[in-house]
Amino acid sequence: MSADIKDVPVYEIFTQAEALSFATHVGSVRASSAKDALEMAREAYFRRDAAFDIWVVPQDQILHARNFPETLPPVREDKGYRLTSGYDNSLMWKKMKALHPSESENMTAQ
Amino acid sequence: MERPTHDQVSSLEHLLIPMADDEWMIGHRGSEWLALAPDLEEDLALSSTSQDEMGHAKLLYELLEELGQPSADERIFSRDASHWHHAALTTRPRQGWAEWSVRRYFYEVFDQIRRSALSHVPYPPLVAALRKMDREEVYHVAHQRSVMAAMAYGGSESFGYLNEAVADVWPLLPDLFEWTGPDEHWVVWDAGVLAPSAMRGQFEATVRQDFHKWGLSWPGDIGPARREARHHDNSAELEALLTEMRSVRTIAPASAW
Amino acid sequence: MSEAAETRFMERIEAGELIEATDWMPEEYRKLLIKQIHMHGISEIMGAYPEREWVTKAPTIERKLALNAKIQDEIGHGQILMRLAEDLSRPYNRGREILMSDVIEGRVKFHNVFHMAAPTWADAGVVSFLVDGGAIVTQTSLLTSSYAPYGRMLKRIVAEESFHMQYGEAIILALASGTEEQREMLQGAIDRWWPTMMFFFGPREMGKGSQRMMYYRIRSQTNEELRQKFINRYIPRIKTLGLKVPDPAAKQDPDTGVWSYTDPDWEWYSNVVYNNVGPKSQERIALRRQAHNDLRWFREARMRAVEVDASVGA
Repeated sequence: MSADIKDVPVYEIFTQAEALSFATHVGSVRASSAKDALEMAREAYFRRDAAFDIWVVPQDQILHARNFPETLPPVREDKGYRLTSGYDNSLMWKKMKALHPSESENMTAQ
Repeated sequence: MERPTHDQVSSLEHLLIPMADDEWMIGHRGSEWLALAPDLEEDLALSSTSQDEMGHAKLLYELLEELGQPSADERIFSRDASHWHHAALTTRPRQGWAEWSVRRYFYEVFDQIRRSALSHVPYPPLVAALRKMDREEVYHVAHQRSVMAAMAYGGSESFGYLNEAVADVWPLLPDLFEWTGPDEHWVVWDAGVLAPSAMRGQFEATVRQDFHKWGLSWPGDIGPARREARHHDNSAELEALLTEMRSVRTIAPASAW
Repeated sequence: MSEAAETRFMERIEAGELIEATDWMPEEYRKLLIKQIHMHGISEIMGAYPEREWVTKAPTIERKLALNAKIQDEIGHGQILMRLAEDLSRPYNRGREILMSDVIEGRVKFHNVFHMAAPTWADAGVVSFLVDGGAIVTQTSLLTSSYAPYGRMLKRIVAEESFHMQYGEAIILALASGTEEQREMLQGAIDRWWPTMMFFFGPREMGKGSQRMMYYRIRSQTNEELRQKFINRYIPRIKTLGLKVPDPAAKQDPDTGVWSYTDPDWEWYSNVVYNNVGPKSQERIALRRQAHNDLRWFREARMRAVEVDASVGA
């Protein structure tokens, strides 16, 4: 076979399992058009699992952060101030309840 | 490494305070841009940068705290104006977007050179801190270059603003390269890259290359540092900044907030 | 579109199916969604302004970092929601530029709370405690919205809001256990924000738009249900803090559990929201104009630059 025969283009396949889930990558197919890619994806990746939706994206339209490392998010180790886990207010609430007991009976646990 | 000697601790303070103060002040001024950037996406990028810089300042103050010095919060909220050693470039009040972008670009290029010079100081906690900062800072430099390129290639209006801003910020540069403290105290670390002249040389080479690419002409030599570089005694601008920054805390200085 | 399509659409809604951006939808549904999401997005963005007044004055390093992060999240929520509003507005040829101009030109409203002044650090804390608390109540009720993209994005937004609430509570708790001055500052802020929060959930009798949103299941709870949930959650908290309840009429019926409360000045607040005449409306809209109008040159430059510099956008 000659190497200069043109290959069929590659489409990356993403799926939403359920209506409220975010799209996840599952693999890729070769197809001559985006519509074809949808038809191929169905049997290539969804022989067992149902899907709420399937997206196809031409592979050459995808830009990878790994190839531009400065754009990749670092591990944000010192950013506890922006996480709920960076706050523990329960001890302070307990102190407040002890200080004002009669008023606190209706306060539900968080 | 053993516990640093007295001379080394003193030199560390003279190296780390200017850097920590720069990081704090540029982050503080950066936070004034919240909700004022040209678009929502840029606003998000800008805010992360300011948070990173203030986080780095905290990290550096904490390195000194471990050596028996005041805490980060004390440095920020109680230190006398005459003991702040940031470069003038970091505290200028908010002006236009082009001015801020250019100021940030110069700062990021310089800061990268300074971090790399400081990594020659054989004090492991500092080396570890610098490595941590680098992971965030690579994005800062890259993103500021994108912003500069946008103005350079974005047509005559933006190129005009860019040129004005460069001319406006250029005189603020000389301070950056100076340390504080006794002359050449850094020699105790045997790291020549820490010399202001060495950092200046690297800075000029990097900026020249970028300017050439963006079609900006070289504004001329970066002038000599003021004799009292990084000292701000009697600066009304710094007094105003500190008074505002401390206005809430002074209501109940000893209290938790 | 035909009546049959409308009927089919309502069958889907009533069966609990969710609608996607690319699905056919009645024009009324699309317009209601745009109105809701556009106002929500713009309100998030306008919500940055009262708090940014306190960024330079935050009293500790941790508070300052957290406040920066919180405002950044608000802008981030605005960005997410504007993207949804933009996609929905495509048939009307209205994109980011015009949807962002709408607030400057007075064509879109934003929440009453963000027209108000935040004169002390305690106000900055109470905004996180009560306003974000109120936002969590309304946004949680919208998680089951019939419009799937809204529900999806709200999951993310609500998760981030819970950090805001924790942060707000930490400030409130510190002030409540602080000096007399700190406690007074806190009480003052609670008193100021309470009536504003009563208005936040909307009139007792819902307007026609809100009723149509219920019909299409864009939202599923009434203004009064949401307000009651809020009062029920926050009055006990305020008491626990040892503070005076800001509404002397606030009483819970022991049998029904329903709270009575003093009505906010409906007319005054409506006027504020519809005509941007609150204490801080114009000042904050002016800041938005600075960012959006005065810096348009940069957005345009960035687009032009991509054509020149092949390395940008690689």
